[in-house]
Amino acid sequence: MSETVIVAHKLYKTFGEGETEIQALRNVDLEIKRGDFAAIVGPSGSGKTTLLNILCGLDNVSSGDIKVSGRSLQAMSGSELAQFRREHIGLVFQAYNLIPVLTVLENIEYVMLLQNVPVAERKDRVRKFLAELGLEGKENRFPAELSGGQQQRVAIARAMVSHPDIILADEPTANLDSETGGQLLEMMRKFNEELKMTFIFSTHDPQIMERAKRLITLTDGRIVTDELK
Amino acid sequence: MLWKLAWRNLWRNRTRTWLSSLVIAIGLVAMIFMDTMMVGMNANMVKNATDSLMGHAQVHALGFRDEQDVKLTINDLEKTLLQLEKHPDLKARSMRIVTQSMLSSAGGGEPVLSLGIDPEEERLLSKFDEAIVEGKYLDSVSSQKIILGWKLADKLDLGLGDRLVLTAADAESGEMVQELFRLSGIFKTGEEQMDASMVLVGRKTLQTMLKLEGRVHQIALRYANLSQDGVPVNPPEKPELSSKNELLLWTELMPSLYMISQMTDLSMAIMGTILFLIIALGITNTLLMGLYERMFEFGVIKSIGTTPWQAARLMLYEAVCLGLISIIVGLIFAVFVTALFANYGIDYTGIEFSGVTFQEKIYPSYKWSRLVLYPFMSMGFTILAALYPAFKLWYMLPVEALRKRKF
Repeated sequence: MSETVIVAHKLYKTFGEGETEIQALRNVDLEIKRGDFAAIVGPSGSGKTTLLNILCGLDNVSSGDIKVSGRSLQAMSGSELAQFRREHIGLVFQAYNLIPVLTVLENIEYVMLLQNVPVAERKDRVRKFLAELGLEGKENRFPAELSGGQQQRVAIARAMVSHPDIILADEPTANLDSETGGQLLEMMRKFNEELKMTFIFSTHDPQIMERAKRLITLTDGRIVTDELK
Repeated sequence: MLWKLAWRNLWRNRTRTWLSSLVIAIGLVAMIFMDTMMVGMNANMVKNATDSLMGHAQVHALGFRDEQDVKLTINDLEKTLLQLEKHPDLKARSMRIVTQSMLSSAGGGEPVLSLGIDPEEERLLSKFDEAIVEGKYLDSVSSQKIILGWKLADKLDLGLGDRLVLTAADAESGEMVQELFRLSGIFKTGEEQMDASMVLVGRKTLQTMLKLEGRVHQIALRYANLSQDGVPVNPPEKPELSSKNELLLWTELMPSLYMISQMTDLSMAIMGTILFLIIALGITNTLLMGLYERMFEFGVIKSIGTTPWQAARLMLYEAVCLGLISIIVGLIFAVFVTALFANYGIDYTGIEFSGVTFQEKIYPSYKWSRLVLYPFMSMGFTILAALYPAFKLWYMLPVEALRKRKF
């Protein structure tokens, strides 16, 4: 039986107060197993990004419990959360969000440098990911010198290179054409199968929904369906 | 990596970075230049004071300075001289008779301070010989010649060759004695007091007149090897109390002048703090602008595992890089500006300040310790300026920052 990497219980998230109060999440219960390739889907404003932010400790819940890799996120300080994300969670954003003043190589290395990974191992891992993602020869380029697809590959490499337990990707294909998006999804699916890495997407993209092994549908902050394919 | 990131971030907006570093650099240049000016000015004032009459130190009998009693001559002169001449840095000494007297001429009378000197000894100690504007300097310790300041000559309407009578109390009986002199030279030192109320005659003549043969009131001393403040690096040994003599450095003889140089340090410290605080506020503003512009990026950096402390350090490193550039630019400019003025000087001649008249141009001069202190101050205030932005970055929630995305 697969190990559970995320357990969320009765999550509520409210923004604003009084008349401007918005319930972004209502009574969300969720379990994610190691090796899941899950997509959180739903219309805009349904709470997908909020849920993703809460799952990685970027945002707090208003009430409820959440444990990732066996640790309660609510009990952690800002610094502990940052270190926890560095060790256990890889993030991929919609708009790539690479650090513009760092080269491809440095962007990928960044998290490993924070982790104090030895130079030789760091270089080895970066080389491996560059090859896997078809970015060889582009190590010394800056993000502005790359296409959108290439930038997103670098972002994926940055998220995966530190061997996190979970990759959370917020609409990773939204800014890409369908062909490039499809290629990236295939790569992620490959990593998921080969390395047993857990992927959770928030998306509208039918390509992701098609490839996901599990579809979690959110509407008005509630999980309305959670189906394995 | 954080250093690399900080350095590169700094150059994302080159104009802003250069402008900010120019502000710090100009502050640094202003502080260094003002300081070198003050050091030059102090050195000038001390040099004027010690070169004109005082010397770097003086020996008197205890009580002479307060009472100006003609009987209070230096005790055991020979032993005292031997003691003083042992000092390896002693360059010159001048033994003087000093007495309050009345100078009379056909045109009237004036109270004056009479100095009995050895013209050759005095030539090495003060600049009366160079200050002669009419006639000649004294040529003997025993002549009947007298020289005096141009203001006094003007007041008494004196010309070269005029006969003058000096009246003073002798040391034995306290009776008033008189001596006839002939005016041989008029000097202009630029010092109000000396030019208006001082006369110089041969020492032996005055000793005979005051019945002080073989005795003197004052030994003025000049030393080599001085600190930048004009104080002998190896101060002469003070006589024992039993000798009933005293040796005072110029810092004790003219404490007001010494105080000025000490006050200058304090004034510069206050001025520097105010100036750098103003600059620091400007730098805080610049760093905050940079922070708000890159809010989303900082959100990304924090969300992928950069701890609040590492993020704050990133901001501090940017400030340190900015400070380093500014210090390099500032030091280059400061050295250039100071060297320029140190070469040509700034003309303050004739202006009197704290009883000392500037005789020469002021040449800015470095105190090397300040060339280290002010850059450190610049860096300190630049880091201080970065504390608030760093604090903001520390407490910034990544999720809030990620919402600030500019599309």
